[in-house]
Amino acid sequence: MSDAAASLPKRRGFRISRRWLPYVLSLPALLACIGILIPFFTAVAYSLQRYRLSQPWAHKWNWGENYWNFLSDSSFWNTLQVSLTYAFLTVGLELMFGLGIALLLQKRTRFNNFVSIMLLMPLMTAPALASLMWKLMTNPGFGILSYFASLIGFEDFRWASDPSTAMLTVVLVDIWVYTPFIMILLLAGLRSLPQQPFEAAALDGVPRLFVFWRITLPMLTPFLLTATLFRVIESIQQFDIIYAMTQGGPGDRLTVFQVEAYLNFFQSTNVGRSAALLMILWAITYVLSSIFIKNWLKLREKQRGEA
Amino acid sequence: MEHTSTLERVLRAIAITLVILFFIFPIFWIVLMSFQTNETILRVPPSIVFEPTLQNYQALITGELDTAAGKLEFDFMSNLFNSFYLSTASVALGLILGIPAAYAFGRLKFRGSEDIAFTLLSFRFAPPLLVLLPLTIYFQKLGLADTYFGLIWVYQLIVLPLILWIVRGYFEDIPADIEYAYRIAGHGFWATFFKIALPLAMPGIAAAGLLAFIFAWNNFIFALVLASADKQPVTVGALAFVTASGIQYGQIAAGIVLSILPTLGLALYAQRYLVEGLSLGAVKG
Amino acid sequence: MYEKENKLIDAFMRGSVSRRSLIKGLGSMGITAATAGVLVNAAATRALAQNGFDWKKHSGTTVKLLLNKHPYADALIANLENFKELTGMNVEYDVFPEDVYFDKVTAALSSGSSEYDAFMTGAYMTWTYGPAGWVDDLNEYIMDDTRTNPDYNWEDVLEGVRKSCAWNGKPGGELGSDDAKQWCIPLAYEQNNLTYNKRVFDSAGLSIPGNIDELVDTAAAAKGAMDGGYGIGVRGSRSWATIHPGFLSGYANFGQKDLNVSEDGLLSAAMNTDVSKDYHAKWVKMIQDSGAPDWSTHTWYQVGTDVGAGKSAMMFDADILGYFMNAGTAEAGNLAFAPFAANPDAAAPTPNIWIWAMSMSSFSKQKDATWYFLQWVTGPEHGLFGAREMDLVNPARSSVWADETFREKLSSSYPGYVEMHDVSAPGASIKFTAQPLFFDLTTEWAATMQKMVANEIPVDEGLDQLAESVNSQLKDAGLG
Repeated sequence: MSDAAASLPKRRGFRISRRWLPYVLSLPALLACIGILIPFFTAVAYSLQRYRLSQPWAHKWNWGENYWNFLSDSSFWNTLQVSLTYAFLTVGLELMFGLGIALLLQKRTRFNNFVSIMLLMPLMTAPALASLMWKLMTNPGFGILSYFASLIGFEDFRWASDPSTAMLTVVLVDIWVYTPFIMILLLAGLRSLPQQPFEAAALDGVPRLFVFWRITLPMLTPFLLTATLFRVIESIQQFDIIYAMTQGGPGDRLTVFQVEAYLNFFQSTNVGRSAALLMILWAITYVLSSIFIKNWLKLREKQRGEA
Repeated sequence: MEHTSTLERVLRAIAITLVILFFIFPIFWIVLMSFQTNETILRVPPSIVFEPTLQNYQALITGELDTAAGKLEFDFMSNLFNSFYLSTASVALGLILGIPAAYAFGRLKFRGSEDIAFTLLSFRFAPPLLVLLPLTIYFQKLGLADTYFGLIWVYQLIVLPLILWIVRGYFEDIPADIEYAYRIAGHGFWATFFKIALPLAMPGIAAAGLLAFIFAWNNFIFALVLASADKQPVTVGALAFVTASGIQYGQIAAGIVLSILPTLGLALYAQRYLVEGLSLGAVKG
Repeated sequence: MYEKENKLIDAFMRGSVSRRSLIKGLGSMGITAATAGVLVNAAATRALAQNGFDWKKHSGTTVKLLLNKHPYADALIANLENFKELTGMNVEYDVFPEDVYFDKVTAALSSGSSEYDAFMTGAYMTWTYGPAGWVDDLNEYIMDDTRTNPDYNWEDVLEGVRKSCAWNGKPGGELGSDDAKQWCIPLAYEQNNLTYNKRVFDSAGLSIPGNIDELVDTAAAAKGAMDGGYGIGVRGSRSWATIHPGFLSGYANFGQKDLNVSEDGLLSAAMNTDVSKDYHAKWVKMIQDSGAPDWSTHTWYQVGTDVGAGKSAMMFDADILGYFMNAGTAEAGNLAFAPFAANPDAAAPTPNIWIWAMSMSSFSKQKDATWYFLQWVTGPEHGLFGAREMDLVNPARSSVWADETFREKLSSSYPGYVEMHDVSAPGASIKFTAQPLFFDLTTEWAATMQKMVANEIPVDEGLDQLAESVNSQLKDAGLG
């Protein structure tokens, strides 16, 4: 197609040679974003320095020392573990619920369409403010959720303030905010699947569970990957919800990367350590995303081949 | 479907009810709180019976609230305007920059296309804090600090990757034959792009735009760090009700309601596109 | 405009008309009490204008402030017209919510922004801002007669508060030493004492606790009487703010310190002594037995809200928080105040204090003009206006505390407040060691305390671990 298209006569308008066209089209977007590389590399430089704003006299290059120190720093390993746990739990549960809800709403009815839009409301509530409300709702005295919990027998359920339930509570808020995002992506995917395989399966009397595992899920994979990709990136970088609910406590239970880096910068003004933490976070995100995208591209190639 | 059993229908109804309860109840409760005074909100145990008041909304709109601890002044409506302006302008710019690029990646495979696409997406990987701190310094030097323009540019980090990724998938799925036929008929590239490709991809563009709008709307840290008080969005503005003399939950609730309404309206209006438009990556049968 | 009114006010200032008949007189002219306050102060401002100082020197200049959304900022804004009239200057300001205020300050200053000429700050924060080179030493201005008006009366600022804002920048250096730099000037300050619910205390027959053991017992007894509420509110979030109010005030009362400073200026942890362990153990037990169930998320807001809503029987926190909660809440009018000394052997309370102060940005391009504003806003006239008419409490100047109108206003609606202040003020100052790792160490301290309260670690062991970690951080930073 491309050769044929290229050889077509161009009638008017400014002309761009076929070879350069894609670059011309994508360049503005790239240029708009490229400026971000300058602060990015500045941050890389910070991460290689001993740099605490409150001790300007001690400011110097220490090369990999900030990173090297992480190896023996138990709070760093705790941060890594907490962040990964949080990302794994939230994304995993949100995928499950999101898929479940999308399946429930799959049929195109007015009711289902309306419900699917209404379910987006949590996503429209800024996490920073939503967390304030959740904090109130889980307050032991005034909180409606604590009241409900006491009605069903959890007299003294302490939500985010108890070390054993803190993670559960912030994950719950995250699920509330972000499941709708996954739901809407998967719903769109489900509704766009071709009908023939399902009709054929129904004719042959294939069990529905089998259809789900062998037809629906594989065909839905690109959507699942996209949803997972965006959620993983955001979840591992979670800040708003955790900071507003517990500031990383109780103890060090919820000191995820961005919370730790935020405290390191804004309170301790330890720019070097803060930047090094964020660089590691960036590296983790980069690796995870590359894997997802590679698989996504492969899948699409394959599907196109089949189609 | 004819082979749905009664049991299954009942189970489905229960499941959907539970889902609605879980996701909508907190919103419902926030709406209730927005019609209460702080004193009735802070009752033990909480109760659904109260005398509704419009005082919170009135306070938000007039920008003044008389509390016993003194008069509280704030400028929530201009926060709301800033949110609206920043999100709309960012999404508009994101679409202008993103759609041609998405088309290039989706339709015109070229040398390095996947690398460039990945690079663009990777701007989303950088934790906001990481780039934000040096950015404050550069903004200061460039005179971009405390300008809408500077903010809108930074917001591209949120909206552009999302738009690119979703719209690109959509372009890929439009059968190439239609465009080809139009070009054979003697139309130029741009004409084809605007008359054929763009309208066909509209649902995808609308959906991507809406999601990007929501994420831009919810952002909090960029404006806080980079701009002065008169350019802050609702996310920062609503925190003004967390005051030294107590948290004004009623106003925060009303603020949340007011800040959801525009987006919700937009979503309801575009609902046809929304679900259809997100069907990226689907190979149309 | 307001000519008749001004005559009446001038009469009041001369002392020939009483305050009551002044307000009544103004009322008959259709002027409300709040407006009357500003007008009265306009008279004070007119007096100020005649003190021989060249107030109009920077007329036409605009200074820009960064303010925290706080009653102190409200007081400042309410009186701004008088400053503008006095100097012919213009003042612009950005107000940010308290929740994010210090992030905004750090972002603005660390980028070297010259947008703001002066800003509100806490004294602890200047331990970062000062050494970082973001704020100016205000001694240069205060001591300069050509730049400071003769009625400024710097010595009038309470000594403990004044000195707590001055530090020589050396890690461990004593606050207010001779070589100290004045990084900020106080607007008003908070002492940490007891605010208790008189209704609950009376009905349960409780008496005001006099030391830490009695506090633990009273809190437990109060919890029993609360029916669903709890005994005592103290802060518990994972933040420096958990350490500095009641907790540190009691801690200091036992002569305990956060850090030791050696002869050669090196710092080391001091929180794992036997006395400290004993105090920590009592504190932790008090929270476990009669504190808030969600203590570990409690900040200023929750502690205050609960005592105001009648959910807690008392709190050991900022006096001014109790002051705010005694109006517009369910328990308004029921709250009373008492000084508190944790150590039975101590002669008087030793409250640690929080100071809201003003600093001058080093990046300001018009420092002399900015100083005009700073000396006015921290001067006796604005202090008096703020304390009488607004909520600029606790005032940082002794002349304001001596003002009968102000004392009367406090005593009539806040029983015991003035007495509490007078008893604890002599011992009130910042009890922390000034050093650059302040926020790192106090945050870790709070996290350790959360672990102790959750029974994740015994008190002894927790404090030993904390001390070890603090020492290694101090060494890393070249301080220990």
